[in-house]
Amino acid sequence: MATESGDPERFEDVDWDELGGLAVPRRTLAFVASLVAYALLLGYDYLLVAEDQPTIPVAGWNVTAVDWLFLLTLLAIVFYGVVPLVVNRRLTVHYWHQFRKNRAAVVSLVYLLVIFVVGTVGTAFIEPPQLDTLAAYQPPVYSSVPADVPVSCAGEVVDGRCQGTWAHPFGTTGQGKDILKMVVFGMEVSMQVGLIATFITIVLATAVGTTAAYLGGYVDEVLMRYVDIQLTFPTFFLYLLLVYLFGGSLFLLILIFGLTGWGAIARLVRSEALQRSEEEFVRAAKGAGASTPYVIWRHLVPNVSNTVITAATLLIPSLILAEAALSFLGLGDPTVPSWGRVIADGRGDLSSAWWISTIPGFFLFFTILAFNFLGDALRDALDPRQEGGE
Amino acid sequence: MSDDGAVGEERPVLSVRNLVKHFPITEGVLRREVGRVRAVDGISFDVYPGETLGLVGESGCGKSTAALSLLRLEEPTDGEVSYRGESVTDYDSGELKAFRREAQMIFQDPTSSFDPRMPVGQSVAEPLLVHGMADRRRRRGIVENLLERVGLSASDYDRYPHEFSGGQKQRIAIARALVVNPDLVVADEPVSALDVSVQAEILGLLEDVQDEFGLSILFISHDMAVVREVCDRVAVMYLGEIVETGPTVDIFEEPQHPYTRALLASVPSIDPRRRGEGVELSGDVPSPSNPPAGCRFHTRCPEIIQPEGYDFDQQNWRAVMDLRVRLEQGTLDLDAAREFAVAEGEATDPEAVTREELARAVRDEFSIPPELTDHRAERVLQDALSSLVDGEADAARDLLADEFETICEREHPDLRDTEAGHPAACHLHREAVEADAVRSQTPED
Amino acid sequence: MYWYVARRLAWAFVATFIILTITFLLLEVTPDAQAAQLQFQAAQGGGSAEAAREAYETRRGLDAPLWERYSNYMINVFTLEWGWSDTRSQPVVEAILDAYPYSLMYGIPAVLISTVVGIAIGLYSATHQYTLADYAGTFVAFFGISIPNFWFGIILLLVFAVELGWVPVLFDPNVPVFSVANAKQLVLPVFVLTTAAIASEMRYARAEALEYVNAEFVKTAKAKGADGRRILTRHILRPALVPLSTILVGDLLGLILTTSYLVEVVFGIPGLGRLSLDAILNQDTALVLGTTFIPVLIAVIGNLLQDLAYTILDPRIDYGDR
Repeated sequence: MATESGDPERFEDVDWDELGGLAVPRRTLAFVASLVAYALLLGYDYLLVAEDQPTIPVAGWNVTAVDWLFLLTLLAIVFYGVVPLVVNRRLTVHYWHQFRKNRAAVVSLVYLLVIFVVGTVGTAFIEPPQLDTLAAYQPPVYSSVPADVPVSCAGEVVDGRCQGTWAHPFGTTGQGKDILKMVVFGMEVSMQVGLIATFITIVLATAVGTTAAYLGGYVDEVLMRYVDIQLTFPTFFLYLLLVYLFGGSLFLLILIFGLTGWGAIARLVRSEALQRSEEEFVRAAKGAGASTPYVIWRHLVPNVSNTVITAATLLIPSLILAEAALSFLGLGDPTVPSWGRVIADGRGDLSSAWWISTIPGFFLFFTILAFNFLGDALRDALDPRQEGGE
Repeated sequence: MSDDGAVGEERPVLSVRNLVKHFPITEGVLRREVGRVRAVDGISFDVYPGETLGLVGESGCGKSTAALSLLRLEEPTDGEVSYRGESVTDYDSGELKAFRREAQMIFQDPTSSFDPRMPVGQSVAEPLLVHGMADRRRRRGIVENLLERVGLSASDYDRYPHEFSGGQKQRIAIARALVVNPDLVVADEPVSALDVSVQAEILGLLEDVQDEFGLSILFISHDMAVVREVCDRVAVMYLGEIVETGPTVDIFEEPQHPYTRALLASVPSIDPRRRGEGVELSGDVPSPSNPPAGCRFHTRCPEIIQPEGYDFDQQNWRAVMDLRVRLEQGTLDLDAAREFAVAEGEATDPEAVTREELARAVRDEFSIPPELTDHRAERVLQDALSSLVDGEADAARDLLADEFETICEREHPDLRDTEAGHPAACHLHREAVEADAVRSQTPED
Repeated sequence: MYWYVARRLAWAFVATFIILTITFLLLEVTPDAQAAQLQFQAAQGGGSAEAAREAYETRRGLDAPLWERYSNYMINVFTLEWGWSDTRSQPVVEAILDAYPYSLMYGIPAVLISTVVGIAIGLYSATHQYTLADYAGTFVAFFGISIPNFWFGIILLLVFAVELGWVPVLFDPNVPVFSVANAKQLVLPVFVLTTAAIASEMRYARAEALEYVNAEFVKTAKAKGADGRRILTRHILRPALVPLSTILVGDLLGLILTTSYLVEVVFGIPGLGRLSLDAILNQDTALVLGTTFIPVLIAVIGNLLQDLAYTILDPRIDYGDR
């Protein structure tokens, strides 16, 4: 450029014939790089490591398909959720001020973060619950149960009643599995189901909704008719049918939740995107020479993101509940320690070992409650009508 | 058909020929076309290097659509648009993208023309990014420099649109339009949404920018006062067509088209002698999906040519024409006329209104005097009114159409040269020219 | 408008058709468990697995061409020939007829109570905004939609049946329908179902009524001196009833249908939900289909009624395409 160092470059001095081609933002490059690394690891696991061998011999961890999906979801959340928040600091602070007003929501957020950390990181360091008939039916700490209920009491026996101990703070199941561990591993299951399925859902819903709104016409008709059809089948019974036909593995469950439940949000996204498409900044971008994917990605998607985030936050609890319900009914993944399954297992022993069904249920309840509080507060904080007031 | 005095012998930067943009009106699931909105119906003009051409008209006359169509932000239905001799309408997507660097647009509404979630600096830098400037720091440098030159500060780069006033946003809009160094800028009502005091600043900025960078500007507006300030030449649009075009000075001092005259009359004037010259246009702006036959302005034109063989007072002729227009549309409501008669005290209740009273009420509604000076015309009118109050509106309409047919509804006037030196599309000029021709042929007079 | 109704009805038919077709295709795609079992047995016994499979298919009419199987399937569905339930040794239709009264026994009271109470609380909340009652109401709503129904039922059983003994622990299907004993054993299921339904009813009712509470015409009525009750019923309830009636039918039905599975399992009620679940666990395909069709059909009809009610009752909506 013909400028001296220290002089600002002027727009009229730009030699346009030199330039041309694609300009890729850094974040996309970083994300793609991490995806490549991810794909390499995935390939390694599937092609080179045998079925029953642990993927990471040191930790003895055999990475499952669900784990891979979860990793992908986390990557996406980091790059497209966390990074924008950090970059647009002023906007984030503004949202936080709005959000903070709802105290229940703040408590919920803390609780959920704890659950998230424990569920994802904690499970790597704790051993999964083990079958142990001797330790069956231990009562929770600070409570007691008639001594004939457990096979052998881990704590003291006082007045013919077996006392609970800190070795099993929440007691054990009929198979001797420690309930605290079941709760923690159950957190992992719920987190995985909630986050992965919601991630799939919002990707599909946003893509379909914004494209239908921006392109309009024939594309819009076809896409929305498809959504109509997909929405006519009540989701719960679709799950039932699919689980019946294909078996209830966690991986399949997550896929079914993600691939069949995006219709309602797509409609929401579309109506929001339609309003935005009418605005002149979209036309201005087109006038600058931007292509359709660029306009959709850089202008429409960020402007519908508030709606999407709120809808997603309210979707997660219903998915967690659905998975718990299916596990409770015996239709879930039998190899996975889902909260629903624990509750179901404890039903037969309700009169003698009440803690098996009740305690995991509390955690389930609070998790869902927390998400609902969070979603409600987000809806208020992210309300676009409140934007603009600084 | 040639354009008027070009600036020197240069070729135009932009050349528009017979640009047409229609929007189909569809019905039903299969989207059958049941009508068309003829937003732009064949306009032609040139923009020369360094000049500002104004495109003027009321809201809804199609000026914004014309702008979008010539830039191919909406695909034109027909017509030719040339930029420096190359046909824009034939560009493929690659050439079109390159064209976008040469021709930029400034939008009307400053509030909605910026993405609320993007800092304005990024919005201004967007054209740079789209056209391949990958270096983030470089883009930022250019934009910061540009922001200062349009009257803002470099630190405004990171601010959001809602933090600026309307005037400031339009400065940013000008910056965004300039950033890729275009040769042509289409400004769609750039100051209409601003306060009057701010308008002057923005117009001044636009002028400075044009002088410094040699831009050609297509300036779209409905405000004649602004146009007089800013434009070198003007094209006046009505209902999708250009009705007059010429240098600003000529247009404002010697307007040749009745519509232009009406527009000018609405400009407030300091000169006390010229006050009160307001021209009131009758009727509503017709819908572009169903434009009037012949001259599109004939349904409202105060100077509409009288039918052959009759001699009206021009005001009365306009009034009779208004009646005809309503009959053609089928919107003449006799019940309303009855109510009118009652209100005037002619009768006590709507049912008791006599035929004569009703006829009088209709005349009053259109401000037609009780008796026309031309007796033959008066008889025709009375016959028509009789049919009308007897409930035969069609007969009334047909009678008036036969007897009072005017050239303005029969033939569409094309843009043709006038005595004043610039073209206008009005039969008045043809008449004058023809009358001159006739006069020069006949031996007497 | 009638054109719209007709179109909407047609769409309901189309939707049902599509659902049935999708179900058929899914069945076609998945491996048949029984066939696999027969093949396994044949191979074990030294016979030909292939022959066993063919015999099975001929017997089941599975060797007919796809189109013929499809049309048979469709005809059977519409003529209520829903097949034979192997696990219960009775026609599917009969099994359903045996089971549905039990579902109604707790379903109907739940719907009635939750509707009335839900709307009442919602309206009260809207007209007494920001009072303690309003906050309590909102709290109840959050509680209701967050609590896992099946767990809630278990807790209630634990407290009221096991510990306190006020209601029986196990459901006795042989008790006469309109007896005190039946009422006692239905209290908890109805309660669980009601809490779930009330929560959503209430939130909607409150949101809708709020739109009108702050409306100009209510202020006018107040200025005219109309008393609170009159305002409530005439000016708020009536217009709010329009959107309310829509969620009444559609969403409530959906909620009841899905929750019934859980409620029936927890309380041991031999209704439709239990029937369906047992069929799934026992791989009784015919019964699975039959018991899934009913709720799906009800949901489709519910949505249809909901849409129709909404458009017919609200004069502001136009009938143009989307």
